[in-house]
Amino acid sequence: MKLAPNRRKTVWIAAAIVAANGFFPALWILFTSFKTEAELLRHPITIVPHDPTLTNYVRVFVDQPILLFLWNSLVVAGLSTALCVFVSALAAYAIVRLRIPGRNLVLSILLAVSMFPLISLMVPLFQTMRTLGWLNTYPALVFPYAVLSMPVCTLVMASFFQDIPNDLENAAMIDGCTRIGALWHVVVPLAAPGVFTAAILAFVNAWDEFLLALTLSSRVTSRTLPVGITLYQGEFAFPWPIISAALIVAIVPVCVLIAIFQERVVSGLTAGGVKG
Amino acid sequence: MSDVVLKNVVKAYGTTPVIHGVDLHIASGEFCVFVGPSGCGKSTLLRMVAGLEGITDGEISIGGVRVNDLPPRERDIAMVFQDYALYPHKTVFENMAFGLRLRKRPDAEIRRSVGDAAQILQIDHLLDRKPGQLSGGQRQRVAMGRAIVRNPRAFLFDEPLSNLDAQLRSEMRVEINKLHKRLRNTVIYVTHDQVEAMTLADKIVVLSAGRIMQVGTPDEIYNRPAAKFVAGFTGSPPMNFMPCTVGEGGGTIILDGDIRLPVPAARRAVCAAHAGRRLEFGIRPEHVFAEAAGNDVAEVPAQVQLVEPLGSDTLGLLRIGPGEITGRFAPEAALATGSAIRAGIAMNKFHLFAPETGDAIRGPGW
Ligand SMILES: Nc1ncnc2c1ncn2[C@@H]1O[C@H](COP(=O)(O)OP(=O)(O)OP(=O)(O)O)[C@@H](O)[C@H]1O
Ligand SMILES: [Mg+2]
Repeated sequence: MKLAPNRRKTVWIAAAIVAANGFFPALWILFTSFKTEAELLRHPITIVPHDPTLTNYVRVFVDQPILLFLWNSLVVAGLSTALCVFVSALAAYAIVRLRIPGRNLVLSILLAVSMFPLISLMVPLFQTMRTLGWLNTYPALVFPYAVLSMPVCTLVMASFFQDIPNDLENAAMIDGCTRIGALWHVVVPLAAPGVFTAAILAFVNAWDEFLLALTLSSRVTSRTLPVGITLYQGEFAFPWPIISAALIVAIVPVCVLIAIFQERVVSGLTAGGVKG
Repeated sequence: MSDVVLKNVVKAYGTTPVIHGVDLHIASGEFCVFVGPSGCGKSTLLRMVAGLEGITDGEISIGGVRVNDLPPRERDIAMVFQDYALYPHKTVFENMAFGLRLRKRPDAEIRRSVGDAAQILQIDHLLDRKPGQLSGGQRQRVAMGRAIVRNPRAFLFDEPLSNLDAQLRSEMRVEINKLHKRLRNTVIYVTHDQVEAMTLADKIVVLSAGRIMQVGTPDEIYNRPAAKFVAGFTGSPPMNFMPCTVGEGGGTIILDGDIRLPVPAARRAVCAAHAGRRLEFGIRPEHVFAEAAGNDVAEVPAQVQLVEPLGSDTLGLLRIGPGEITGRFAPEAALATGSAIRAGIAMNKFHLFAPETGDAIRGPGW
């Protein structure tokens, strides 16, 4: 797309502000993770570490079983994302394609549900998980995370599914697919950008979540990263550089994952080319 | 056997009926064309046969099997859509192979079937491309290829050529005709284009507002229309209509302005039964002549209002009494705008319609 020079400048400035807003804290954390505690407290403040050190990273892996937390987070976020995307895709498809009376009402309700404050669900969720005996197990987090992301994932995918011509599915059904088959063979691949967007949203939501994780899964063996990271904090000390290093360890896998997906989404986008 | 039979088929969206009890028998191997104005329910009818729309009432059977409750994939049909509906993420080969793959056919067979179809349609050099890299005409061919690889009981086409330019359209029309002569599958074909309807069809079904107006061969539809609607829908330019009165004994037809047209002996008996009645007189442009010569040609004074040379022939708008009619003349006919001529009307070719119902009034052999 070509923009007029003036508009392009505006777009660049807006993008720069957004990027700076997002990147500055991340960059600060990154720099802090290479500083010694002494340097952190020095006056005047240094931005780039003077003599960078890796000891913080060593401490991250030595002080706490962070690899276990990483693994737990990966399992919980991965499973909840898969479940969420699967169910949301079906829901989105139903909303978009089937002639359901009160379609718009369903959409509004979805939107309303997604605005529920998490804290209000805490007690009933805790009770439920205790009754099921799921406390401190993966399902205690997988199911709530999947369900919590469903409204937004459904809305995102519904808006993408809407743009796929109806006759493509009709063609698939005549070729021999069931309706669900047409959804998986035709709609989902063509709406891949939407599906990945939904998946990334769900994944990041689950990866970042703290409150539920702390309440429902606090035992060391099932602890996820956000809860795990708080453990680096001593009773009296707050070791900023170590915690920063732990944060970097927590962020990097997500970034890599998103980068890989992005690549696939973009290549998928340019390869197809719907009838113009 | 792959005949398609519709028995009293009704379709309603909510409480709005759009198809009102259609009965139709399409014989095995027949090329059946649905025509009718926009919104008359052609696509709806086709999609009900395909199984893409439910049936509110009635029964559809394909090859003797009642298919009302069968999903599209179990009806053994193939469809070519107006916008082609090719899978954008699959190559041409995979587009065509998809149906066979879903049926778990062996790889070798798939390659052979797709190869054969591609060869017939001259798209074998395009098999590795994605639909986005094809021209409109090529996409059209791929869509046809996808339909023919499966060798289904029936092909359904919904205005398949309407997105092509005039030249390609007539090319593809010929291809489709050849293909049908070769494969001999049952075909149901929806179109707006009269030329397609006339040239392709074994049987034309004229629809209006969810009802069948007439079913017949192209010749019957054109030459023996059962209703004014059908007569006005076929032919380009369409048939001329003028109010008229039938004279005493059926010997004359009197147009407004006291223009008396003598009725040939063979048609008098039927006309006599309507003597004195106000009817609608219909005559096709090719049965209006620039001069009154020959048997059964009535002479009428006319004034030339407009001349439109088309090259192969010339259209002339003539004022006859208070009315106007269009004639199709040989290009060498000397017509000058504003001039007065003695035009001829072929009285062995006229049509009569009841003004209230629009039904045709005709005797045997008209
Ligand atoms: N989903 C729907 N809900 C309500 N009415 C519908 C629906 N689909 C079609 N109709 C109505 O059914 C009638 C027939 O539509 P259809 O698409 O079959 O017409 P058509 O003959 O194919 O027209 P065209 O030549 O423009 O394609 C139309 O009046 C249309 O408004
Ligand atoms: Mg249509």
